[in-house]
Amino acid sequence: MHLTDEQLNEYLDHETNEREQIELHLKTCHECSARFSDLQNLFLELDSLPDLQLTRDLSKRFNPSRELIRVPTRWFNLTVFAQATIALVALIIAIPFIAIYLQQIDTTMLVTSFAEVQTLWNTWLDALSTFEFESTAFELPTLPIVEMSSLLISLAGIFVVWIFGNGILLRNQIRR
Amino acid sequence: MNAPTDRDLILRAKRGESEAYGEIVTRHQTSVFNVCYRILHNRNDAEDLAQETFMRAYDKLETFDIEREFGAWIRRVAANVCFNFLESQKTSLALDEERDQDKSPSPSQQVEVKERSEQIRQALASLPSNYRLVVEMRHYQEMSYDEIAHELKIPLSDVKSHLFRARKILAEKLHAPNG
Repeated sequence: MHLTDEQLNEYLDHETNEREQIELHLKTCHECSARFSDLQNLFLELDSLPDLQLTRDLSKRFNPSRELIRVPTRWFNLTVFAQATIALVALIIAIPFIAIYLQQIDTTMLVTSFAEVQTLWNTWLDALSTFEFESTAFELPTLPIVEMSSLLISLAGIFVVWIFGNGILLRNQIRR
Repeated sequence: MNAPTDRDLILRAKRGESEAYGEIVTRHQTSVFNVCYRILHNRNDAEDLAQETFMRAYDKLETFDIEREFGAWIRRVAANVCFNFLESQKTSLALDEERDQDKSPSPSQQVEVKERSEQIRQALASLPSNYRLVVEMRHYQEMSYDEIAHELKIPLSDVKSHLFRARKILAEKLHAPNG
C-alpha cells in the first residue's frame, strides 16, 4: 500500500509521529519516493522565491525629523536671497535718515522731556485718585524728534519686507 | 558602534521615540511587503496594507511582549491584515477567475514569466485566497497547523485540506510539461 498525500505533506511539514514508518516505506517504494521528491521540490521552489523591493519608503511616516532636514528647494533659496537683498537695500536707504535723526537729538532736551513725562504721569495719577480731570492733564509732551516720519516709514518698510518674506518661507509649516 | 537591536528600538519607541519605530519599519518593511504581495498579488494594495500593518502595530506597541521576536510578530500581523482585507473584499469565485484572466500576460510580460520566480508568483496568485493565506503562513511564516487554525479561526482539518490542495494545484502549474 502506498503513502497518502496527507502523509507525505505532514512528513515534510514535521507534523507527523509516523516519521520512521514513512522513511522506511520511501526507501523501498519508487512510486512514493518519486511523489515525495516532487513535493520536496515544490517546497524548495516556494522557499527560494526572492523578495520584491518596495517602490516607496514606509518608514517616512515615523521619521518626522528626517522630513524637517530635507534639502531646501530652489524656490526656498530664491526667496531667502530676494528677502535678504530687499532688506539690505531698505537698510541702506534708511541709514541717511538715521544719521539725520541722531544729529537732531539734543541730550539736554531729552532730559527735559523725561522730566516732563514724569510730571505728566504724576498729574495723571493725581487726577485718577481724585476723579478731577482737567483738560490740560492729558496733553502729550513734545518729543525732541524732528522729521521723524521718513525714518519711521523706512523702518516700517523693512519690517513689512521681513514679515512678508518670513510668511513666504514658513508657508509650508503653517499649512501643516 | 553596534547597531541597536530590535528590542532596544522597540523600548525606545514605547517611550515615544517615533524615529526608533521608523528604524524598525526600515528593517522589516521589505519582508512585510512581501507577505502582503504573496497574499494579494497586487503591488499597490500590498504597499498600502504593509503601511497599514506598521500603523496598527505602532498602535498596539504598548501591549507587545518585548521578549517576542518582532519580525515574526509583524509578519503575522501583516497576514492578518491581508486576511481581513480579503474578507472585506470577498467576491464570487467567478469574479476572482475573471481577475486572473484579466492578468493574462502580454507579449512583453511573457518574457518575464519565463523567469521561475515569476512563474511561482503567478501560480500562487492563481490560488483561491484562503489557500494562499494558508500557504503563506505555513511556508513563509513557518507556523504549525495548530497555529494557523488558531490564527484563522478555522478547524485543523480545513487547514490541512487547504494546504494540501494548494500544493497540488501549485505542483500541477509549476511542474506541468510546459510549465
